[in-house]
Amino acid sequence: MGTYILKRVLLAIPTLFFASILVFLLVHIAPGDPVRVMLGPVQDPALVEKLQQKLGLDLPLHQQYLIWAGNVIKGDLGISTSVQRGAPVGELISQRYGVTLELALFALLIALLIAVPTGILSALRQNKPSDHISRVFALVGISIPNFFVGILLILLFGVVLLKSWGSGGFVPFSEGVGSNLQRMFLPAIALGTSYSAVVMRMMRSSMLDVMGKDYVRTARAMGVKKSSVVRRDIVRNALIPVVTVIGNSIGYLLGGSVVTEMVFRLPGIGSLVMNAVFRRDFPVIQAVVLIIVAVRIVVNLVVDLLYAKLDPRIQYTSTE
Amino acid sequence: MNNATLLKIEDLVTRFHTEYGVVRAVDGSSMHLDEGETLGLVGESGSGKSVTAFSVMGLIENPGRIESGRIYFKGEDLLARSDAAMRRIRGKEIAIVFQDSLSSLNPTMTVGDQIGRVLRYHTSLSAREIRGRVIELLEQVGISEPQKRAGNYPHEFSGGMRQRALIAMAISANPSLLILDEPTTALDVTIEAQIFELIEMLKRQTSMGIILITHDLSVVANACDRVAIMYSGRIVESGSVKEIFRSPLHPYTRGLMHSIPRIDTPREEKLYSIPGEVPDLITLPEGCNFQPRCAYAKEKCTQTDPSLEEIETDHHAACIFAREIRDGES
Amino acid sequence: MNRDNGKAAVQERERHRGVILEFWRNFRSNALSLTGGIIVAIFVVMALLAPLLSPADPVKQFKVSSGMHNPLPPLTSSAEGHFFLLGSDKYGRDILSRALFGTRAMLRLAVGAVALSLFIGMIMGAVAGYNRGSWLDEVIMRIVDIMLSFPALVLAIALLGALGIGETKIAGVTVSNTFKIMIVIVIAYAPRFARVMRSVTLQEVSEDYVAAARVMGASDTRIIVKEIIINTIPPVIVQGTLMMAETVLISASLSFLGLGLQPPAPSLGVMLNEARDYLFQGSWWYAVVPGVFISLAILGFNFLGDGLRDSLDPRQARRVKI
Repeated sequence: MGTYILKRVLLAIPTLFFASILVFLLVHIAPGDPVRVMLGPVQDPALVEKLQQKLGLDLPLHQQYLIWAGNVIKGDLGISTSVQRGAPVGELISQRYGVTLELALFALLIALLIAVPTGILSALRQNKPSDHISRVFALVGISIPNFFVGILLILLFGVVLLKSWGSGGFVPFSEGVGSNLQRMFLPAIALGTSYSAVVMRMMRSSMLDVMGKDYVRTARAMGVKKSSVVRRDIVRNALIPVVTVIGNSIGYLLGGSVVTEMVFRLPGIGSLVMNAVFRRDFPVIQAVVLIIVAVRIVVNLVVDLLYAKLDPRIQYTSTE
Repeated sequence: MNNATLLKIEDLVTRFHTEYGVVRAVDGSSMHLDEGETLGLVGESGSGKSVTAFSVMGLIENPGRIESGRIYFKGEDLLARSDAAMRRIRGKEIAIVFQDSLSSLNPTMTVGDQIGRVLRYHTSLSAREIRGRVIELLEQVGISEPQKRAGNYPHEFSGGMRQRALIAMAISANPSLLILDEPTTALDVTIEAQIFELIEMLKRQTSMGIILITHDLSVVANACDRVAIMYSGRIVESGSVKEIFRSPLHPYTRGLMHSIPRIDTPREEKLYSIPGEVPDLITLPEGCNFQPRCAYAKEKCTQTDPSLEEIETDHHAACIFAREIRDGES
Repeated sequence: MNRDNGKAAVQERERHRGVILEFWRNFRSNALSLTGGIIVAIFVVMALLAPLLSPADPVKQFKVSSGMHNPLPPLTSSAEGHFFLLGSDKYGRDILSRALFGTRAMLRLAVGAVALSLFIGMIMGAVAGYNRGSWLDEVIMRIVDIMLSFPALVLAIALLGALGIGETKIAGVTVSNTFKIMIVIVIAYAPRFARVMRSVTLQEVSEDYVAAARVMGASDTRIIVKEIIINTIPPVIVQGTLMMAETVLISASLSFLGLGLQPPAPSLGVMLNEARDYLFQGSWWYAVVPGVFISLAILGFNFLGDGLRDSLDPRQARRVKI
């Protein structure tokens, strides 16, 4: 078990490293001089030179990277150039990550509550009408973009929304659970239902896979009751790959929350990065992307470890 | 050997209705097994041996269906039983041990728990008693350190041990009939020998009837009292092992015997194999199923479909020329 | 079984030809793929014939009669008498026309992006899979892993954010906006496809016919190209179709966010974004029309892809009951 964990961690570190290189290079693939790019409309030559020096842009590329990476590790994510000129990016992010986190988790919860039971039942009633219906529903569900779902929800429940938006800004969870939930409810549903379709299909497919396995046949042949076979042989084993997939889906949820935050005007990291994109605020863009990637890698790692706990075979086999 | 008939199959027909056509997996086969007897069910892959076993256990699923026939177990027709009633018999009265693959055991449950679960359903023992019985069973099948092993997962067992564990699971509720479906095909010869020793020991200890499904005639010679040979869904010959080996009557059986390599065959001689191929179970040949490959086939064979006839005492064969073959043999 | 392996190899090859025939047979009788196919066909026709089918020029702004204001609801007319079948947008442009041209642009983008992704991904994946375990495999798969740690949409946003909106210069060469978006999508999706392709290749490589070809002396490249790639065409078709669905989704998302096609070019995602300001007024058509167009297109590809996948693997359709 120890080697497995170690191996996974050792694999994650270079991945993070190389990903950070890509993020770093982002500012350099932009057309034009990076400094002028970052400063935007302001063209004060003194400022230009100062920034050049600070970023070490006269230094060779790899040294620049090391400076940047070193800063990041120390916690210095740079200074915003246009979203909130002069503000430390770290501060901007810490103000807003809570919203995104809440949205993602809420959506995930909704998705699981819908998808897991439907997926299980659909597989058990395979080829019966209810299975076909839920499969079609799931297909429809993954086809409607989550921002359209959001907009449809607004169309349907606009009155409700007007009320909650009208009551002024966003209320964080810690301050007012009620109004917070009121605000988050529709966005979470928009993001969650889209995602639930994805998970449902996965659950169903994993179930079907397991149902054909020999050990299910063995259990039946030994006269074990159907409910026990379903619970202990089928579902228990079918959940394992689904857990890994859910872990990997943090990517989808993070991407989806960008869009959802824009639709519902939520002050999260997603809307922050979009703001930064429109204003060419590179420090913010880089920091947010880096954090998203890092979160994703860490979550993948955690999921892999969880997988090892769930599946006793893993201790003895190596990766893949 | 007892006279009480444990299992009697009469004209069993099991078919699979697939999109490619109707697969006649078992096409009218009959056989019987007495208490305490070991019957070998021999045939190539696809001959219908496993399907026969599944039919007895009531494990045939869509698109398969038992179309007709009777399966008498201790005098009662199993096919007349409800699903729920069949579940009570499965594992308790009739048990099956599948060919081992790592996939025959639930990978996320300890071996002890899996055996214990079977006991929970078929006996009224307390949890503690079940734990004890599991360890007893593991010991009985020859697994060392049974206490430790009960807490292990299937992948921590070797192939031979897994097979023993599956046998332990099968005998846990003291079934009257044990079916072993190719129990050693996936194991190497030394382990195979050990498993058969185990089976011998179980035979001595209990009066279980055993059906041993295999494609290996040497296994039959060593472990079985009687044998039934299956070819494309039918029993083509059955009788005592001694009798059949001494004087095989059906051309297929003769072909099988002939194909066994012998140590005294001259080196230059090619190994014999029955010419032709096993027929597709959807489109069976005209008349006798074996006729296209049969060395003794005549015109008549494409017209009649031979049924299993008693040629000598307790020696049945499904060939219209059985007697001629027997007499012609020197 | 103790058959001699040469015969088995030839039979497997025949089996693969048979798989393709069977595949076609299943496809025809599969409601899912038929429905999907019809929807996709309709969209392709709409995209190709947009100039003919559009009632108006998509960028022409019609004037409204006094007392009314844009956006106009469906089945009304402009001041000069132009009939808006599906209503007008905030500038008085015909929504149906914009939707048709938007579909055209969207599909053009999607086809280009998917074709390129498939090409690159196939090569990467096949090479990696065929040389399983070698350093080549490791390098390719590490690259894939790194790219995959970026969520597709986030990666696209970051790249587009860096490259700028609208026409840009990449390495000194001016590229059109459409092409730029295409490249970004390819960067996001080719690795995903490479991974799929690799596992498919691994499956094929272990088949007997590959060993047979090797034994007969075929060179490695010949084996890769001829035997493996040809036999992986059915799963590639399935993945390609599903990838079309994803590409349409991501390009619509990017347009919605304002990073895709720029106004006044007709774009379904942009229309949806514009519609946001008019939701509370009750101008539902402004959002529903582009939304339905996008959803149906994605739906069509998903149905088709799923149906094709079922045709490919009829085992899936009939499973063991417990």
